[in-house]
Amino acid sequence: MKDNIRIRSYGFTMLVLVVLLILMVGITATIGSASISTIDVYRVVASKIPVLGELVDSNSITPSQHSIIWSVRLPRLLLGVIVGAGLSISGASFQGLLKNPMADPYILGISSGAALGAAIAIILKLEAAFLGFSGISILAFVGALIAVTLVYNIGRIRSQVPVTTLLLAGVAVGQFLTAITSLLMVIYNRDMTKIIYWTLGSLAGKGWNPITTMSVPIIAAMVILLFFSRDINIMLTGEESAKSLGVNVERIKVYILLLGTFITSMAVSISGIIGFVGLIIPHIVRLIVGPDHRILLPASAVVGSIFMVFTDTIARTVISPMEIPVGIITAIFGGPFFIYLLRSKKKAL
Amino acid sequence: MMNSVSAKNIVFGYTATPVIRDVSFQVDKGEFISILGPNGSGKSTLLKTINGLYIPSSGRIELMGENIEKYKRRDIARKISLVPQDTSLQFDFTVEEVVTMGRHPFKGRFEKEDERDRKLIYEAMEMTNTFDIRERLITEISGGERQRVFIAKALAQNTEIILLDEPTSHLDINHQIDILNLLRRMNQEKGITIILVIHDINLATRYSDRILLLKKGGIIAQGTPEDVITTENILNAYGMRAAVERNRYTGHISVIPLEVNKRIRSELNIRVHVISGGGSGQDLVNVLYHRGYQLSMGVLNAGDTDWQYAKSLKVQIAEEKPFSGISDRAEKKNREMLAEADLVIMTNVPIGSGNLRNLKMASEFLENGKKVYYLRDKEYDEFDYTGGEATFILEQMVKNGLCSVDSMEQLLREIS
Repeated sequence: MKDNIRIRSYGFTMLVLVVLLILMVGITATIGSASISTIDVYRVVASKIPVLGELVDSNSITPSQHSIIWSVRLPRLLLGVIVGAGLSISGASFQGLLKNPMADPYILGISSGAALGAAIAIILKLEAAFLGFSGISILAFVGALIAVTLVYNIGRIRSQVPVTTLLLAGVAVGQFLTAITSLLMVIYNRDMTKIIYWTLGSLAGKGWNPITTMSVPIIAAMVILLFFSRDINIMLTGEESAKSLGVNVERIKVYILLLGTFITSMAVSISGIIGFVGLIIPHIVRLIVGPDHRILLPASAVVGSIFMVFTDTIARTVISPMEIPVGIITAIFGGPFFIYLLRSKKKAL
Repeated sequence: MMNSVSAKNIVFGYTATPVIRDVSFQVDKGEFISILGPNGSGKSTLLKTINGLYIPSSGRIELMGENIEKYKRRDIARKISLVPQDTSLQFDFTVEEVVTMGRHPFKGRFEKEDERDRKLIYEAMEMTNTFDIRERLITEISGGERQRVFIAKALAQNTEIILLDEPTSHLDINHQIDILNLLRRMNQEKGITIILVIHDINLATRYSDRILLLKKGGIIAQGTPEDVITTENILNAYGMRAAVERNRYTGHISVIPLEVNKRIRSELNIRVHVISGGGSGQDLVNVLYHRGYQLSMGVLNAGDTDWQYAKSLKVQIAEEKPFSGISDRAEKKNREMLAEADLVIMTNVPIGSGNLRNLKMASEFLENGKKVYYLRDKEYDEFDYTGGEATFILEQMVKNGLCSVDSMEQLLREIS
């Protein structure tokens, strides 16, 4: 049954998904307190592109509409695109690498490390910015990297990193760091709300800066990840089997862990801990395109972007003008959908 | 013959304790080799060491005459493929996708499979009979089918050597034969060298050119099935008494487990001499042996079924050369045994000129006032090939109190 809907032409699948994403961005950009039409959104974007900009008639758009689209909504949407893509592609590659359907980008302690880093920055009121990043972002990034380094070194046995010990080390370190964060919240309880808000994740009010600095390294890391998609496929048949097929298992494991960690830490440091995207998007995409990581990884990235943009639009509009942290929306939408998938496709997950 | 893989004094251990101790062997191109040994003897570890997955702490594996450590992983993968023990796959790949993975060592990162790859993949699926299920999901097919798919993957890899780690261990008996027949075809039609770890000794002897028998990480015997699978080697490796005989249907060496050495047989202080031949005494000796009777047998021709069986149980035998009549020397030996025996059991094996002396000796034993039992549980067309003499002696014996029984159960009741 799954075979019938499995789309054989990978190029076509990607094309459809990218068109969907562009439409999604265009449509969601119009939603909000100020009324703007979809076509205006594309006009504003086009007007910013050299050559093309000359040809577009943007006279009908008022300066305030222009600035809402260009300075407020668009950067937020693009941040959603990048964060959603990054989390989903990391989740998909971790699930494949660890051969564990419950794996997500945070499984190696990234979230708890980042949360602790952010909590420390909030408590210390680190306002100093570096390269345009806030103290919170920087400490969150550092915290995530320290956590993964810790997990990796605990999980390593000599030159090998068995998957089980890695997962257990991830859980243990994660719990430990979370406990410390909780302890800090109890002691400095006036910062508690802010810390909790941060850990729930949000894409609000970041401006263009994180996108211009982050997108190149994140996209580069995602492209490099794609280089290893066939190796991940083969590693699913078992590590020894993969080695006998000429795959350098231990080295590729390290590459993927590094790339996934890098992408996730970047995303988390800007947007906080947005849950569920990196867990369920790969599962949904796997049901549609199958387990071949050559299509699963890029398709997860685009579907992750679509999902992120969609949920973030809900987060900022549903009880407007109040913002709901987007992590809550992803879980509210993701949770039941995931349960539905579990029930209906038990075997596949 | 070209030497394809050889091990030179390899030692390997996951920890400080070696799992493989000083193992040396050589595999020629086109051979079918089985690695046998009890659980924990290092069979799988040895197989993976051959594949270069583990690097020996001393000694070396040579692939085509070159130290395997000098090869890149990818280059090893172009020469050796491995069918792992665990073929479970949680992800919904189709059969064809799994078989296609066999081409990995020949492909660049984004290179697509070309005509030649397709051809090899389709040939592999056809040979393993998985072509018709190529669209099915690997998670939805049976264990036997999955095993064949993984063999197809190894075939698609198009290597000179295929290693298999217990490919039959979870399969039904028909699938076991199915897989081994497939391996034999690959071996004979394509000249692929097969090295197989297997539990079933009888399957190993039936399909292999040579066998390596392992015990605690060392090779205790290697050679043809006939040379390796002997009662002594089985006892040594597995700590189990076994009868080794040629299977009458397949003509291959086969092992019948008798008892594990550790279990102590309660010995009875009754000495029984069995007169039989041609397989008529096999069940009888087996039962008596396990009940703890002290046994002797004779006179038997060397190579006779009963003789083979008695040998495997280390029963004392008065033996004669194959296909010869009973000589004076053998008769003397037999009489020595009879002198110590408390009772004699003879089977209804036909009597001809060759073994008439056995019947005469039994008759004398009876005349000396001792018990002789006559077990008539086998069907023979004719008893007497001596022209009446045997029948006469038998009638004589009946008069002297020969105890005739029709079944093993009756016999056991009578003698206990």
